[in-house]
Amino acid sequence: MLFNSIEFLVFLPAALLLYALLPARFRWILLLLASYCFYGFWKVEYLGLIAFSTLVDFLVARTMGHTKNDSKRKLLLFMSLTSNLGLLFFFKYFHWFLDGVLLPVGLLSEPLTQQLHEQWSFLLPVGISFYTFQTMGYTIDVYFRRAVPEKNLARFALFVSFFPQLVAGPIERFSNLHHQLFKGLSLSYANLQHGLRLILYGLFIKMCVADNISPMADAVFANAENASLTERLLGMTLFAVQIFSDFHGYSLIAIGTARLFGIHLMDNFRSPYLATSIRAFWSRWHISLSTWFRDYLFIPLGGSRAARWRVAANISVVFIVSGLWHGANWTFVVWGGLHAFGYLAEKVTWNSPAAARFIPAPFRWFITLSIVVVAWVFFRADSIAAALSFLNFSHSGEGMNLNTDPWALGFAALFLWSDLVFGREGFHLWIDRKPLLVRWACYGLLLYFICGFAGMVNHPFIYFQF
Amino acid sequence: MGLTYDGCSKRAYLFDNALEALQIESIKNCEILYFSASSNFSQQRVVEESDPRKLSQFLQDFYPALQIDAVNKPASHAGTHAKLMQMLPQNSEVKTIIATMNLRSFGPDWVHSNLETALNQSEVMYNNRPALLNRLLVSLRAYDDKSESERLEDKLSAWESESLPYPAPQNNVASWCAVEKWGDWKNPSRQLADQYIKQFALVIDEHHPRIKDFDAMAALAKERGWNLVFNLLPENLEVADSLVGNDLIALMMQNRDWLLKRYSAQGVIVSDNLELLEDQYFTDKTFPTEHFNDEGRKLIAKALADDMQALHSEHYSTPTWLNTPSS
Repeated sequence: MLFNSIEFLVFLPAALLLYALLPARFRWILLLLASYCFYGFWKVEYLGLIAFSTLVDFLVARTMGHTKNDSKRKLLLFMSLTSNLGLLFFFKYFHWFLDGVLLPVGLLSEPLTQQLHEQWSFLLPVGISFYTFQTMGYTIDVYFRRAVPEKNLARFALFVSFFPQLVAGPIERFSNLHHQLFKGLSLSYANLQHGLRLILYGLFIKMCVADNISPMADAVFANAENASLTERLLGMTLFAVQIFSDFHGYSLIAIGTARLFGIHLMDNFRSPYLATSIRAFWSRWHISLSTWFRDYLFIPLGGSRAARWRVAANISVVFIVSGLWHGANWTFVVWGGLHAFGYLAEKVTWNSPAAARFIPAPFRWFITLSIVVVAWVFFRADSIAAALSFLNFSHSGEGMNLNTDPWALGFAALFLWSDLVFGREGFHLWIDRKPLLVRWACYGLLLYFICGFAGMVNHPFIYFQF
Repeated sequence: MGLTYDGCSKRAYLFDNALEALQIESIKNCEILYFSASSNFSQQRVVEESDPRKLSQFLQDFYPALQIDAVNKPASHAGTHAKLMQMLPQNSEVKTIIATMNLRSFGPDWVHSNLETALNQSEVMYNNRPALLNRLLVSLRAYDDKSESERLEDKLSAWESESLPYPAPQNNVASWCAVEKWGDWKNPSRQLADQYIKQFALVIDEHHPRIKDFDAMAALAKERGWNLVFNLLPENLEVADSLVGNDLIALMMQNRDWLLKRYSAQGVIVSDNLELLEDQYFTDKTFPTEHFNDEGRKLIAKALADDMQALHSEHYSTPTWLNTPSS
C-alpha cells in the first residue's frame, strides 16, 4: 500500500494502537506481522521472495559465524551474493539483458528472444532492489566480522522487512537497526511528535509538490519534439524538482513512520541541490544508497588508496553500477557515467585547494546543478536517443502551449525555499524551535494544502519502479 | 471555514471532471431531469446537421411548458446516475427523471472500462461530506482505481468465462470472436464484427452490477415520489445483423425483454427504442456507439415523449419540426 493512500491511513493508526497496547517485549512481533501484512498487500506472492531472501542470508550468516575457515566463509558470502543478485537479475534485468545485450551481439535470435520474453514474464516485485541490498550488506558485514550473526530468524526477518523502509529505503545497516528493533521498542510523546511532523511534511512534499508537478514534466517529455527551448528547460527543471520532492517526501514519511515506533532511520537527503560539487551531491542525495556503494563496492575495490587510474576506474564502476541499480536500461548507465565524468573532472580541476580559491562557490554550484539536471534527462528518458533529442536545443519546436499550474509552481518554489531554510536540521527540528502558535499554524497550513490541493492523478513514488 | 457540506466553498475543490456535483445541487426549478452519457448530444460538426441541438432539447419541444434540464457526463452509466439522483435537493421541483438505459453499458468492456477510474474519482465528490474532506479522499485514492492492466485482465476473463446460451463456439465471447466469418483479423469487417460481439453478447440477470444500480434508481424514485423513465437507447441492429447474424440480435432482444419486464413491474416506464433507428442515423461507423445524428435524436425524442405522455399529457404538444421534412 502506498503511504499516501486511504489504506495506509487506516493501517498505520491500527498498528500504532496495537503497538501501544502490547508489552514492550512483544512489540517486535507485532512489527514483523505488520511488515509482512504491509508487503503482502502489494501482492501475496511477493512474500515468498522476501522470505526466501531472508532465509538464505540468515542461514549464510549463521554458518559464517560458526566457521573460521576463510575459504568456506568466502563461499558462503558468494552464495548470499549470488542468490540476492540472482533474484535481482531475474526479475529486473533479464528482459533487458535479452534485448539490450544478447540480441544485439547476435547470441540470440529474435524469435527465441520473443519466446523467452513470453515464457518468463514477471512483474518487478516492489522493493526488491532495496531489501536485497539491505540483506547483502548484512552478510558482507558478518563476513568482515563487523556484525554478529542474528540467532533468531524471526528477528532477522523483521530487520529485512521493517515496513517503513521496506519498499523504497532508506537502506539500513544491521548495526543501526538491530539494537533498536530488538532492545526496548518504546513509545514516547517526543517520538510521536517528531514522527507526525515528518509524515505531515513528507506528505505535503509528495502530494502537493511532486504529484502536481508531474503532469507538467510528463507533458514536456512526452511532446519534446514540439516543445520550445524554454519549455524544455522548464521540463528538465520540473523533473529535477519532481524526483527530489517525490523521493524526499517518501523518505520523510518512512523516517517519520519509523519514528512513531521509536526507531531512528538514517537521513536520506540533505539539501542535495545546494551541493557545490558532484562529490558533495552524492553525500546529500540518496545517502543510504551512496554510502552502501561506498562501503560495499568502492572500498573493497581499493577505494582511494590505489593508483590514480585505478581510483578513476573504481569511481566509474561504482557510478555505472549505481546507474544500473536504478533500472535496466542503457539510459541509467549513461546517467551514472555522466556523474562519474563530473566527479572525475572535479578531481582534476577545482577539488584542489588552489583551484577552489579561484573558482567561486556560486559558479561551482551552478556547474554542479547543471550536470545533475542534464543527467536527469537520461534518467527520465525512455532511450538514449530520446534523451539526446531532448537535449538537442538547436532543434527545439515551436512550442507546445504547456499548461502551467500556478499552484504547482508555487508549491515547488515553497519546497525549494524551505529546503534552503531548514538546512541540515530538517523541518521537524526547525519547527520545534518556533512558538506554539506558529507551529500549529504551519501544521494547519500544510494539512490544508494536502487536503485541498494534492495531485489527483495516481503517481506511484518514482523509486518504486527500482 | 465552515465544515458543513453547504458551508465549504465546494467549487474551490471541484475539479473539471466533477462539476456535475455543483450542477445537480443547483437544479431546483426543472420538472423533468434527463441523465445520460454522450448520447444526448451531437458528435458531428455543427455544419453537418440542420439542427445540432441535444436530444433533451428536442424532448423539450414536446413539453414546452415544462422545464427539462440535462446532466450529461461522458461514459457515465446507471451507477453514476443513481449517485447523482441522491444528490437532488429536497426542495427541487423535479417530477420526472429520465435516465438512459444503454445495452452496451452492461458489457464487460464498459463495466471494466479504463474510464471507470475517472468516474469513480469524480463520484467521491458526490458524497455529502465537507468538500475539503472529499478532495482529500480523492488524493488518497479512496475509490476503486484499478490499473489499466487489471481492468484488461477483468475484461478478458469475463469474455472467456461468461456463458452464453448457445453451443460452442458461440458459448462465450472469446470463442465466438475466434470464428473467422470475415477472414483475417485485419479485415475491418472482422474487427467490427468482433466489437459487436464483445459489446452485446451477454446475458443480463439480477446479479449484474448495473441492475443493482437501476434497482437503486427505481427504489429512490419511489421513495421521493418521482416518475422514472428509462430510455432504452437504439443500437445499430442493422449492422449487427449483417456482420454477426441473428444469434447476436436474439441475445439483444432477450436482454431487452428481460429489462422491460423487470422494470415495468417496478412501476418504471421503459421507453423501448432498441429497434428504432436504422444504420443511417448512427454517426460512428467503426465502433458500436449510441451517437446519433440530428434526425436520429429527433426520432428518439419523439418516441420518448410519446411513451411519457401519460405522465404529462396536459403539457404535450407537437413541435413544428415534426411535420416539416428536413432539408
